[in-house]
Amino acid sequence: MIELSHYLVVSGILFSIGVVGVLRRKNLLMLFFATEIMLNAANIAFAAVSSYYGDLSGQMFAFFIIAVAASEVAVGLGLLIVLYKKQGTLDLDDLAVMKG
Amino acid sequence: MIWDLYLVMPLALVFIGALFLMLFSLVKQVELTNYNLVTVAFLSVSLIIELIIFQNVEHDYLFETIFAKMFIVDKLSTLFNILFLSGAILTLLINNNYFKSRDYYNGEFFALLLFSIFGMMMLAHTNELITAFISIELASITLYVLVGYNHHSPKSSEAMLKYIILGSLAGVFFILGVALVYGVVGSTYLGDIYSYLIHHQNSDISLLVVGMMFMMVTLLFKIGAAPFHSWVVDVYIGSPFPVTMFMATTLKIAIFSILLRLFLVDFAPIYPLILEIIKVVAIATLLLGSLLAIAQTQLKGMLAASSIVHVGYMLMALYAIGVGSSFAASAIIFYLISYFLSALGAFGILSFLASDEEKRHLSFDDFKGFAHERPYMAAAMTIFMLSLAGFPSTIGFLGKFYIFMSVVETGEILLAGLGILIAFISIYYYFKLIALMYFYPSPNPKKRFPFAISTLLIVGVALMIVWGGIGTGLIPFVAGADGLLTIASEALKTIGK
Repeated sequence: MIELSHYLVVSGILFSIGVVGVLRRKNLLMLFFATEIMLNAANIAFAAVSSYYGDLSGQMFAFFIIAVAASEVAVGLGLLIVLYKKQGTLDLDDLAVMKG
Repeated sequence: MIWDLYLVMPLALVFIGALFLMLFSLVKQVELTNYNLVTVAFLSVSLIIELIIFQNVEHDYLFETIFAKMFIVDKLSTLFNILFLSGAILTLLINNNYFKSRDYYNGEFFALLLFSIFGMMMLAHTNELITAFISIELASITLYVLVGYNHHSPKSSEAMLKYIILGSLAGVFFILGVALVYGVVGSTYLGDIYSYLIHHQNSDISLLVVGMMFMMVTLLFKIGAAPFHSWVVDVYIGSPFPVTMFMATTLKIAIFSILLRLFLVDFAPIYPLILEIIKVVAIATLLLGSLLAIAQTQLKGMLAASSIVHVGYMLMALYAIGVGSSFAASAIIFYLISYFLSALGAFGILSFLASDEEKRHLSFDDFKGFAHERPYMAAAMTIFMLSLAGFPSTIGFLGKFYIFMSVVETGEILLAGLGILIAFISIYYYFKLIALMYFYPSPNPKKRFPFAISTLLIVGVALMIVWGGIGTGLIPFVAGADGLLTIASEALKTIGK
């Protein structure tokens, strides 16, 4: 029998994968993918809790989060194009110049 | 219904203004100054309506039949909206010259700025965590774009890169925290979380506390508290002056609006669990921020790093709220206002100089002999530095005084002592600039005071700072700086549980 806690564990594992991705990956595109995975982890948790309580608002919020994630990536991809045109690379070690 | 329409007017005006400017930014013939003036006009009308609402509103929900209790309208949210709007108006007018001197600004800049303010105003009204998340993201995503607005400059793009990666990572923590809170409580309304905590004091609430901690991580990141402060200096240096100004003043106030609401309403039952963390964060922010500020060679970097220190003072007062100080919350609001005025003026002078002269005033050394070249500007800059350092007879002194008073009131003498020590250290990097301006000969001849809307406003802000510090009680029938404190505490009383 699959219970609420199983879903939450899956969500936690996905979230950890996302955190590791953000910390380890050096490519800008991969960083955005990793944040996307983390947002989807939160979505799973919302949908699961929503069906557990029989309360529809959780699923509604999941849709809002999808919209927010999409707009964030849209801005991120815009930046990515600007950087790639200018620097010719998306590797973080080459992009970072300032050391504050 | 009509009453609700009246309450929603300021928000709606800003939103309509943003859409209007977005459509009109396609028209090439319009001059940049006109875009600026249209934006300011929308914001001013909105500000006037907010000021009227502030007199009449007590505790209301916006369109309760449609949105349930998602949006709250009370004196606190209205007060914060007034601050955002006046901050945005001052930012836009002071930077009027700067916009004209750079070729990369267009109408979309103003539309994005209005969207960001709309997000902040929603944030002040929010009574529900998902609304809070959406408004934080609305305010931040537009700011990501604004930070990278100078697409010719590699520094600006890099600042945007750092801000967007770290900012979206921090935002995800908020949403995971909300998911955990929703899983335990079954609702995301602030009031419901409070009543759940009150009624389940003996049961296991560790998951709820973890969720709330995740939410705190995001908010601490956005205000730039240690240990999440490393982005502040790079992002502030990299972004264009108007955006730096906007971030340092308005965005910080916006995040504090939700932080105060969460802390006063939801976190009240779990103070014993989180107060130690807040204390450590406050001390770390003060110390690390001071170290960063001392090391800076660029003036913009010094102001950025010192903004971290100012956040540290406010976190001290946040700790004092939890220990039971009666006026710490109003002291935070007062400090926000005083910091907002001083930082606005200091950044304003930098941006004006960047637009007026070929030579860029970036490092401390560029300011050698500045007082002989431009005596009035130097005098205004001195006032801003004194106010940031907390020198008596400026509004910054009163702000620090109230913060330290609230900490002393709770019996935390050591913490207050540390705060005063940090204030002494901060004199080093603020007075360094004053000394450089006055005690060196100037290579350039004396210049006339340029009469423009930017410079007049800068002088006006400087006068306001002095008036806030000494004018109190001298002029009868006019509310002084103490009046602000009364207004803040009045606003805090209307916050609902």
